[in-house]
Amino acid sequence: MDFFANQIHGFTIALSPWNLLYAFVGAVLGTAIGVLPGLGPATTIALLLPVTYTMDATSAVILLAGVYYGAMYGGSTTSILLNIPGEASSVVTCLDGYQMARKGRAGPALGISAIGSFIAGTIGVFLMAMVAPALARFALKFGPAEYSALVFCGLLMAVYLSEESILKGLLMMMIGLLLGMVGIDPVHGEERFTFGLLRLTDGINFILVAMGLFAVSELLVNLETPAGAADIFKTSLKGILPTREDWRKCWAPLFRGTTIGFLIGVLPGGGAIISSFMAYAVEKKFSKHPEEFGQGAIEGVASPEAANNAASTSSFIPLLTLGIPGNNAIAMLFVALMIHGIQPGPLLLTEHPNLFWGVIASMYIGNVMLLGLNLPLIGLWVRLLKVPYHFLAVLIVVIVMIGAYSLKNSAFDVGMIVIFGVFGYVARKNGFPFAPCVLAMILGRTLEQSVQQALKISGADLMIFIERPISATLFALIVLVMLIPIFKRAWKRYQIP
Amino acid sequence: MRNKRDVVASVLLIMIGIAVIVWSIRLQVGTLLRPLAGFFPFLVGFGIIALSLILLVQGWLGRSKAPKAYGRWQRPLIMVAGLAVYSVILDPLGYIPSTIFIAAITLRILGVMSWKVISLSSLVLSFSVYFLFTRLLGVELPAGVLSFLG
Repeated sequence: MDFFANQIHGFTIALSPWNLLYAFVGAVLGTAIGVLPGLGPATTIALLLPVTYTMDATSAVILLAGVYYGAMYGGSTTSILLNIPGEASSVVTCLDGYQMARKGRAGPALGISAIGSFIAGTIGVFLMAMVAPALARFALKFGPAEYSALVFCGLLMAVYLSEESILKGLLMMMIGLLLGMVGIDPVHGEERFTFGLLRLTDGINFILVAMGLFAVSELLVNLETPAGAADIFKTSLKGILPTREDWRKCWAPLFRGTTIGFLIGVLPGGGAIISSFMAYAVEKKFSKHPEEFGQGAIEGVASPEAANNAASTSSFIPLLTLGIPGNNAIAMLFVALMIHGIQPGPLLLTEHPNLFWGVIASMYIGNVMLLGLNLPLIGLWVRLLKVPYHFLAVLIVVIVMIGAYSLKNSAFDVGMIVIFGVFGYVARKNGFPFAPCVLAMILGRTLEQSVQQALKISGADLMIFIERPISATLFALIVLVMLIPIFKRAWKRYQIP
Repeated sequence: MRNKRDVVASVLLIMIGIAVIVWSIRLQVGTLLRPLAGFFPFLVGFGIIALSLILLVQGWLGRSKAPKAYGRWQRPLIMVAGLAVYSVILDPLGYIPSTIFIAAITLRILGVMSWKVISLSSLVLSFSVYFLFTRLLGVELPAGVLSFLG
């Protein structure tokens, strides 16, 4: 009964006028940035962080979470109408969505993607409300050895699941650990890597790194080849609701997509992008007419759209129960919680039940709002693409700079953000993935502390990491993850002949 | 094809790794039983060097993926220079003049040619953002030379 009581309690929080407003603003902003190709959810959340300083923690997370899952809705619109994925997670939607639009079926394509997103998002939130408390209770049993194993496992997964080279991912992870070490050492209180600068003794503020890596470097990349005004596909958007035949084809793919998305979203480094690709591949295998995929099969829109929404929802689970942010956007939410003095992890649910259940309830509400925002207003969102990029760029510059300055009222921080922006630009250009760096920087201190504690408990016996069942399982998982590239290679060889 | 950029990156990273190791030895590494402040930096420095060596070999033999081409790199370069200047003039000149400067640069790089549009939009933007953030959101921004505006 507790389960329902908690949910109802959550709704009393989420339905307060301010929180409704924040959920709405989050959903609108999320859809907008989802539509705009030059702006991703991680960047937007980083940009919004300074705005949330004065809010209470629950409202802040409601707003920022809305941006994240809202982007999943908006991303598909441009994929279908223009063959331009607004977000990386909507790349697959282009394949069949755009073909449907060219055949005059843009309406049903947009309709099924919005409705599919809604169904998947709602099921995702429901499952999350069921699974998360149990997982948090389980995680309360974790000692330092288990926690070290968990963090290590999370970091490696983020490396191994990223699209870029694993070697470069590992290097970025090391750089992230190094950046996290700047400042006073958490165990011994000694200054490390501060170059004698007083400003660095507190460490490098994570927000600066995030804004530099995401916002500034994205801006620099976009400056190279600014997107011209998009050539908008002219089509009548009549009949957005899918036909009965469409529904017959889609209900199974929708549920398969939701399942795949939910499971993959929980993994660190997983998330919306991989799950949408996977859902598409699975659907093609399941289909009785795989040759229609790529020619405008509605299943090829329904399943990945469901998957990316379910994944964006379930990726909140490791954040809220284990304190492990799985991807860049969720890492920004981790920082938002830290700003408000809340340590994401197993204790969050018992110490801040209002936040947890309030955010869950707001996600149900947000999904309803998004359905309303997306179905009737699609024409409006598409018009956003006509806003010239230079206005957007100037706005980003101004907001980033205010965000950096207002952290400590220091122009030094503005300089730092520029440095990280250049670093991010060069990294992007050379195929070094960000996620491992960002996650390592966030989790580095915890990793160091818990490894040292574990070693103290065991008397420097490394066996402590293998003797305990939970950490042993996690380390076994790490070994399995490290074997992924070998499996991948074998798989490719098996497919090619 | 030798991947020059990966080679350069790995050499740079190896140098960083060496610097980290030297620094961590100065911090004292300690032992497994009694790890000191330099213990983890030492491991990370070692990791960076080991991984960079692999990257160096791969890049040298051309085994790594070809990097993405730099497009018109002049524009990002001007932007970075502009932002660097911005961080220097922000405190002495104040928010409004510095922001007019950076907004004008951004618009110009992105191909807005008309000086009328550039000056008008950067003026309006910096004044409105300044008053919005300081008055409505309570953010402190440097007033600088325009401090008489209050």
